[in-house]
Amino acid sequence: MEFAEFYESTRDDCLRIVLLNVGDRLLAEELVAEGFTRAWVAWRKVRDLQAPHAWVVRAALNVHVSRWRRHRHEVVLGSHDIAVPADQDTVLSSDLMTALRRLPVRQREVITLRLLLDLDTGTTARLLGIAPGTVRAHLHKAVTMLRSATPRHDGQEIRK
Amino acid sequence: MNDDSALGTVRDSLTTARDSLTEVQMSTPLDTIVRHGRAARRRRRLTGLAGAGAVAVTAALAVGLTGTAGSAHHTGIIRTAAFTLASNANGTATLTINPRVLLDPGTLQRDLNRDGIPAVVTAGRFCTSSPPPAGFRRVVSFQPKPQGSGHQRPVPDPTVTFHPAAMPAGAELSFGNFQLADGQQTSFVLIGTGSHTCTRTAPTAPPREGVMLRYGRPAS
Repeated sequence: MEFAEFYESTRDDCLRIVLLNVGDRLLAEELVAEGFTRAWVAWRKVRDLQAPHAWVVRAALNVHVSRWRRHRHEVVLGSHDIAVPADQDTVLSSDLMTALRRLPVRQREVITLRLLLDLDTGTTARLLGIAPGTVRAHLHKAVTMLRSATPRHDGQEIRK
Repeated sequence: MNDDSALGTVRDSLTTARDSLTEVQMSTPLDTIVRHGRAARRRRRLTGLAGAGAVAVTAALAVGLTGTAGSAHHTGIIRTAAFTLASNANGTATLTINPRVLLDPGTLQRDLNRDGIPAVVTAGRFCTSSPPPAGFRRVVSFQPKPQGSGHQRPVPDPTVTFHPAAMPAGAELSFGNFQLADGQQTSFVLIGTGSHTCTRTAPTAPPREGVMLRYGRPAS
């Protein structure tokens, strides 16, 4: 597969998944562009991966973490009012998305790869360089956290 | 609820959220990705050479790339949908902003840095130092020229010229872009490297010893 074809076919999905993780449209676009730039540089390696788009998403999220570490001492003084379409705003500010962004980095990576990108445990483990059992443990903890943060999904338990 | 059921519920919620974002699409053109990739590859090669101790080779390459010994400056034009950045032979760089397209802060920051202009470009955020480093007017000039409080008057196609040689030591340029209901607004000011604070509130007035430009609404 050529890089151009890969970019055209996967860029929007990658952007939406990174947007769910970071909650800021412009930032997400910037991170995904950086992820694809890195994929272009390492294309001979990336194109042979089982899920090259997952590599891009992970690269974008790594850039985000690196930036956060560099700028965490900056003081945020207030909020601004960038116009975000109401339906997107509702999705991005939901309890579930807020809980997703609060997960530890590794748990968020596992949730993103396993559930949003639909990778199996083995592929996720190889991409993250961890054991399959560790992927399962992170997934279990993350799902528990997300479930507890979103009580409105507990319909079955409430009814019993 | 057992583990499988909980997993299924969370998976369904997340994929529903993802699928609801169908209107969210990448606007960065492929050309921009490839251009940045080539630049990254060039930087990596140069770093590798320097790391191997080939300092002389690196210096020779630098001269070959720039045509000017002892200077990292080169001439050329970078065009994106949102801006054009021209490196001039006299060492200055001219930025022309397309008011109809939203700026990609990462792209602009990288391109300014490449032209020797240390800059922090932000969208939805503006960073300042108190007090700001002196010398802003020597580093940045505008066309049309801001006059008095007129910096807030909307301008059609703002052009900004940077003079990297005049940048004070330990300072960088803060470039904060905000999308407002009636257009875009960008504030410029010098900040101390590593000693600044950032706000997510769009400024309502030009920063101290800086300039604020307002220009047209980006196309949706």
